[in-house]
Amino acid sequence: MAVVDKAGPRKGGRSFTEIVNDERYRSVFYQVIVAVAVIWAANYLITNTAENLQARGMSAGFEFLTSTAGFSIAWSIIDYEPGDTYFDVYLVGIANTLIISFFAIIATTLLGFVVGVMRLSKNFIICNLASGYVEVMRNVPLLLHILFWFTLSAALPRPKNSLGLGDMFFLNNRGLYVPAPIPGEGFGVVVIMVLIGIAAAFGVTVWATRRQMATGQRFPAFWVGVGLVVGLPLLAFAALGAPLTFDYPSLKGFNFTGGADVPRAFCALLFALVLYHTVYMAEAVRAGILSVSHGQTEASYSLGLKPSWTLRLVVIPQAMRAVVPPMISNWMNVVKNSSLAVAIGYPDLVAVFMQTSLNQSGHAIEIVGMVMLFYMTVSLTISAALNYYNKLVQIKER
Amino acid sequence: MTDATQSDTAFRPKPSLPPPANTVGVVGWMRKNLFGGPVDTVLTLLGVYLLYVILDFVVDYGIVNAIWTADSYRECLDINKGEGACWAGIGVWFNSMMYGRYPDEEQWRINFGGIVLLLWLIPFWLPKVSGKIQVGISAVLTFPFLAASLFIGGDIGIFLHAMTAIALTLFVSVWLNVATCYLMGKSLPAVLISVTGFADKDDRLHKYVLLGAFGVGFVLALLYHLSWDLVEVPTTIWGGLFLTLVISGIGISSALPSGILLALGRRSKMPVIRVFCTAFIELFRSVPLITILFMAVTMMPLFLPVEFNPPKLAMVIVAVCIFAAAYMAETVRGGLQAVNKGQYEAAQAMGLNFWKMMALIVMPQALKLMIPNIVGSFMGLMKDTTLVSIIGLYDILLMGKAAGQNPTWLGFHTEPLLFTATIFFVLCFAMSKYSQHLERTIGGGYGRR
Repeated sequence: MAVVDKAGPRKGGRSFTEIVNDERYRSVFYQVIVAVAVIWAANYLITNTAENLQARGMSAGFEFLTSTAGFSIAWSIIDYEPGDTYFDVYLVGIANTLIISFFAIIATTLLGFVVGVMRLSKNFIICNLASGYVEVMRNVPLLLHILFWFTLSAALPRPKNSLGLGDMFFLNNRGLYVPAPIPGEGFGVVVIMVLIGIAAAFGVTVWATRRQMATGQRFPAFWVGVGLVVGLPLLAFAALGAPLTFDYPSLKGFNFTGGADVPRAFCALLFALVLYHTVYMAEAVRAGILSVSHGQTEASYSLGLKPSWTLRLVVIPQAMRAVVPPMISNWMNVVKNSSLAVAIGYPDLVAVFMQTSLNQSGHAIEIVGMVMLFYMTVSLTISAALNYYNKLVQIKER
Repeated sequence: MTDATQSDTAFRPKPSLPPPANTVGVVGWMRKNLFGGPVDTVLTLLGVYLLYVILDFVVDYGIVNAIWTADSYRECLDINKGEGACWAGIGVWFNSMMYGRYPDEEQWRINFGGIVLLLWLIPFWLPKVSGKIQVGISAVLTFPFLAASLFIGGDIGIFLHAMTAIALTLFVSVWLNVATCYLMGKSLPAVLISVTGFADKDDRLHKYVLLGAFGVGFVLALLYHLSWDLVEVPTTIWGGLFLTLVISGIGISSALPSGILLALGRRSKMPVIRVFCTAFIELFRSVPLITILFMAVTMMPLFLPVEFNPPKLAMVIVAVCIFAAAYMAETVRGGLQAVNKGQYEAAQAMGLNFWKMMALIVMPQALKLMIPNIVGSFMGLMKDTTLVSIIGLYDILLMGKAAGQNPTWLGFHTEPLLFTATIFFVLCFAMSKYSQHLERTIGGGYGRR
């Protein structure tokens, strides 16, 4: 009996200290405390908010989205009129944010590669020019860059003496004027051809990889792909008799008419975003290239691969593994930092929705929530894609 | 015979020829680094031309055509037609850009606070001083209270009085510690214990001696501090670089502790805690700072009780702290992941509990590995502090903008921006150089094998 008493689990005989020191109970205890604290805090905030809203005679809810916004927006990529609703304002803001992010990301990525390679150059002047650029840009706040370029752009000539490139592009203190494309009849076919070209190029790549795996023969899939993506639409374009015309801007009186105009704030913001974020892209590229050890190149040469293949098949794939994650988080930062547009009056999401609409309608919680939802959607999507990529390329350890 | 043959045929190398003249010295260096080939030569020439254009412009604009004394922006423009900088304006606005609208006769308080902070941190760089971690913790935890009572002034309430007295006591003891370390070769606690004659007594009594000494110091400091009589300067008229440093200073000093807690929470095995921490980090990392600031000034008043109306600065500081904590958490998490799993297991095998394992084994390694990233996020935070100008706090950026809207200085925009950029450049560049120095001296990782 005594033996059983000692070996078997005691029922109800556990001392208090035993329970306290048991890791399972402890973790449950901590979690309950945290959960209660968070719920209490949430409850406190919600009660306060309700009281505050009541005291100010405001109501919560999303009904305001369908009411007329009634203010005009300086520039928008999608159609908008002052009579449209707050929800339209939200969409306009999102479109404006996305369009500037899109251009900034493309320019940043290209320029970042150039600067990153320049920093690795053996040429003393080139290398130090790039380093100087990196240091100056990244030690000064982005907001300062934006305000600086915006201030400088005010000193551009008036429309009458615009800086022109050919008779197509004009830059003055109101903004940039570019030819506007007007798709003619049958232009849709060209667009479809581009999509078909992309699909075909993808198919060819898959086929070429399979064939190489099976037979060891290589196929110039890249160049064939380029040919398909560029050639098919060009053929269709020529066959249909060039169904695309341009509307060129021209000076009428004191201002330009025709063409597409891009406001000064857009140009300044784009310029500052690109200059600032290029630095981070360049650093990612530099670190990525340095991360591939020289032994890889030597090993590849000794296997008899020619230099261009070594670069394409050995060095770049490995460098990309280190370049892509910081590159994508840099893209995310571009999207987030485009919100600084509010400082110079470019009508992005924060400016039109979080500032103007919020001031006018007073629905702080709903509006802040919607804006945050947009940025969260973008960044969670991007990080999901990044995680997928990381899983794809990570070194498979055995 | 054989002897002679051997000595004749023995290998006697001739002295090596000097390297070709064009591979050494200045010429060699230039051939190698500037004119390695046709492409290289073209690039070099292009680079030199670019450099010439930039330098030429900078010298012309900043020195040759610059105006150093003038009474209005108009005057500057009349002289150089806008082709040079008007540094005279910076002289006129310097005080505003540093202190905002803080009254002139009270600005000594800011300078005094800054000097106290510097003095507090100097022992870090004195090699003989012991207890550097305590110095750091005391400064981070209590200096903000001293600063608050100094900068705000007026009737500060008994809590702030007490905290300020603690801060003063700790500050004095930090320097007494320096003195004892250098003069007697012992730390302050050791000296206190031996002076009071408790050196040979039980260790437990030592604690009481130190507490007693601290209590005496505290009472003296409190009495001294109660005699301070400072005019109240409301936070609404704070501004300039001072405001920027206040916000980023609080953000930086709160970021590391809260970031560590959040990172531990995110890696915790307890699902409730992990979910909350992950949600907090992901939410505040995925939105831009400006939206968090807008949230702070528009939503926070709604969250608080009706009768409570905090100053804008307080709400902004809370927002910046939340933002900084979320970013720092990810940096610390990176460090924690980089620490070898064997370290955790070894610590547990030694019988350390969770907090001891973290504090003594894991965190020191993780933080050392992450020095560049931690300093990087401090720099980022400091730069991001400029965003408070968008929601209308008169930091150095908005103060500079205000200069250009003053009737006498209308249009004076570029120079304040350049001046501010220079200040940020100096601060951030110094930070990054210091972080590289830290990385070399105490950093872990691959550099030290």
